Amino acid sequence: MVVGEFTTEVDVLVIGAGPGGYVAAIRAAQLGKSVAVVEKADLGGVCLNVGCIPSKALIHAAHTYEQAEHAQAMGITMENVKVDFAKVQEWKNGVVKQLTGGIGSLFKGHKIQVIPGEALFVNEREVRVFHGYEVNRYRFEHCIIATGSRPIELPAFPFGKRVLSSTEALALTELPKSLVVIGGGYIGIELGTVFAKFGTQVTVLEGSDQILPGFEADMVRLVERRLRKKGVDIQTKAFAKGMEETENGVIVTAEVNGEEKKFAAEYLLVTVGRRPNTDELGLRDIGMNLTDRGLIVVDKQGRTNIPNVYAIGDVVAGPALAHKASYEGKVAAEAIAGLPSEVDYKAIPAVVFSDPEMASVGLTEKEAKEQGIDYLVGRFPFAANGRALSVNAGEGFVKLIAEKESKLVLGAQIVGTEASNIIAEIGLAIEMGATLEDIELTIHAHPTLGEVTMEAAELALGHPIHVLK
Amino acid sequence: MSRFIFTLPELGEGIHEGEIVKWHVKPGDKVEEDQVIMEVQNDKAVVEVPSPVNGTVVELKVAEGTVSVVGDPLIEFEVEGEVPNLPDHGGAPEAEAKQEPGCDIGSQVSANANVALETPLAQGATAAAAPVDRKHILATPSVRKYAREKGVQLALVTGTGKLGRITREDVDRFLAGGAASAPTAAVPQAAPAASQAAEQPATGIAQAAATPTVHYTAQAGEVEERVPLKGIRKAIAKAMVKSAYTAPHVTIFDEVDVSALVEMRKNAKPLAEARGVKLTYLPMIVKAVVAGLKKFPELNASIDDEKQEIIYKKYYNIGIATSTDDGLLVPVIKAADSKSIFQIAGEIAELANKVRERKASPDELKGSTFSITNLGSAGGMLFTPIINYPEVAILGVGRISEKPVVKNGEIVVGQVLSLSLSFDHRLVDGEPAQRFLNYVKELLENPTLLVMEG
Repeated sequence: MVVGEFTTEVDVLVIGAGPGGYVAAIRAAQLGKSVAVVEKADLGGVCLNVGCIPSKALIHAAHTYEQAEHAQAMGITMENVKVDFAKVQEWKNGVVKQLTGGIGSLFKGHKIQVIPGEALFVNEREVRVFHGYEVNRYRFEHCIIATGSRPIELPAFPFGKRVLSSTEALALTELPKSLVVIGGGYIGIELGTVFAKFGTQVTVLEGSDQILPGFEADMVRLVERRLRKKGVDIQTKAFAKGMEETENGVIVTAEVNGEEKKFAAEYLLVTVGRRPNTDELGLRDIGMNLTDRGLIVVDKQGRTNIPNVYAIGDVVAGPALAHKASYEGKVAAEAIAGLPSEVDYKAIPAVVFSDPEMASVGLTEKEAKEQGIDYLVGRFPFAANGRALSVNAGEGFVKLIAEKESKLVLGAQIVGTEASNIIAEIGLAIEMGATLEDIELTIHAHPTLGEVTMEAAELALGHPIHVLK
Repeated sequence: MSRFIFTLPELGEGIHEGEIVKWHVKPGDKVEEDQVIMEVQNDKAVVEVPSPVNGTVVELKVAEGTVSVVGDPLIEFEVEGEVPNLPDHGGAPEAEAKQEPGCDIGSQVSANANVALETPLAQGATAAAAPVDRKHILATPSVRKYAREKGVQLALVTGTGKLGRITREDVDRFLAGGAASAPTAAVPQAAPAASQAAEQPATGIAQAAATPTVHYTAQAGEVEERVPLKGIRKAIAKAMVKSAYTAPHVTIFDEVDVSALVEMRKNAKPLAEARGVKLTYLPMIVKAVVAGLKKFPELNASIDDEKQEIIYKKYYNIGIATSTDDGLLVPVIKAADSKSIFQIAGEIAELANKVRERKASPDELKGSTFSITNLGSAGGMLFTPIINYPEVAILGVGRISEKPVVKNGEIVVGQVLSLSLSFDHRLVDGEPAQRFLNYVKELLENPTLLVMEG
């Protein structure tokens, strides 16, 4: 034994305190286990510190600024609307701190021990945790790996002073004058929108033929239109080839539609996806099954090929989404406690906080068609919803997909204000096996944006009230 | 040049899945149309699958040992010339459709909802019940959780709610073994597909399945190995359960002095060998059985449960249970009544070889009207054979051993063969079954009679 190494024993050791890990830890503690959580950075992981939450705070700030500028239409004129970006960041950091502090108190309440440092597996029962010069050993009955993911770094665009990942972009204390974004996925579009609204000249380079490639073209069109109105230069079928750093910026070379173009900007933001953090845990040394992409292979309880070690969230297959990680975290903790839980969802919702927001759950129309399902579509415009108009948000629509014969709700896509909240109802409908009639016959309060799902259901059934067939 | 993904084709009527037992090609290999590229094992035989195209193998999509269902992508080719217009042409993925994790959440979302991963959970509960046939399994998350807690697979539970929705009560009913008493009247006409399935009468299978099996958990030092139940073993398991729980079995045992038959075989052996045939007792027993079946047609019959009719078969196809490395298979001697003992002997040997090498065609493995199972060659004597359902009887042949027999008031050493006959008591009663067996015995005891009647 190395001098100074102590071995501490716990029932459940969770590696990573993100939305997967902290939820798993709390559920395991609720079920009577002694729990410790290893975290190398801050409680809350990427989601709370450098992901979902801070980006949503900045998006709200940018939206507020935009609203102030555009209030004239409602007869409100504001003069000298200014942005103090350092202050915006301060406010955002306050939001983050409040939430991470909340996790700290929850842990305390559940007597969950937090171990700062990085974990390395010694064998299938023990890890070493490195923290500065200190090394400690922890012996566990069960372990949950919840180490999440990190931004993919492109060899031609190494992260640095001018080349940012989403983490650094969220922490900028000054507004850049110009920004090139490589990757028009949801992270690139959300951050690009924030800076564009604050006045940055933004260019988006996307390899496929539309931004937000996972969503249907008629939804993305609305987002694209808004971005262009804000002066965002969107280049699709654009492959970034290389860059050179200048004194106060970067020049990115890209092949757009087969033609070489150069884009100069103060900063470059690279958002081309995330990779699982499974390479520095010593997993292969203990014989764990990983896929080619470094994802851990698990069963429906999150159990790896090493029976007492579980894995959840971005390190396993499926979309890298916080809510999926939390769900899997609860399942794994319950499985460890001997409960017959398993991953059992019919649909995972996905939301993008673009402008307008987009959300999707279950099957898209395209998928229904591909699967040969005989389906009905109800496509209801926000423009026919009173609440949407009264909050100056008449753009957008909901598209409800149902099986034709049984009227079972199969999925929905929404683009428009508050799409992220409205989608929850359809998620519940799918889980409950609800039909179009079930949604239609549920009274939706007036005037609310939520009425759009009821209207879409009526439309799909062929008797809409507020639009003509 | 274009890409072509070949999916698992239909391997035969009613065969929906198969195990990819061997790949004959690897990525980079050139293949010609009709060249064998892989071997697929279904529940009856190993089938060699030829390449549908000329071209180069790009990727094998599944590993050896994988069980795939019809339509699963198996192999991708770079095709020379035209891509064949096969019905299940999978189409090649777009070259530029590169995966960007985290970037295209919309498309990733449903991707892993359908990934089937094995879970050690609650598998015991549902050993053999047949899944209810329907498009969707509708149950709320709380009912799904309840079913998991009780170790019940929802696929097997009849739903009585709207559109066949499975309620908590349905799960309870299933557990109580009362899947039958589910109020089928409550299933509305709104869901014809679901309601038909719901009206299927519950059998013992459902009840057997309803009681969760608690597997002993291995303690320290006790090693166990879990392998998937698949291929032939799975087919046998299914067939045995179906037969055992459908047909009320009765087995009768008997013995017959076959000294004369032994003598006849001794004499006939050189004759057979001259014709390249190895003569065993089995073909003679086949002959005797066929003669018996002609006299007792209820043993050469089946029950059509659905139409509630008895099918009397006027043809005599005799299944011969044959042991192989992978498990029991039953090749069939067709029209045994019109074949000589030598012909039958030759055919049994040929079929047994084919079956053991897994080369028998599906045709050679179906259509039997009565089966014979032989444990005598392994030294067995009396046993209770399981009927090869939907046949109604099976003859179990034991060993021939020397035993004291009384002949003309004297004890002599006889060659005694033991026989076990299982029959489906729904159709066959004990007395005729015994009379059938007596007749078979008589023929085996007097080979001369066998020659005359057989």
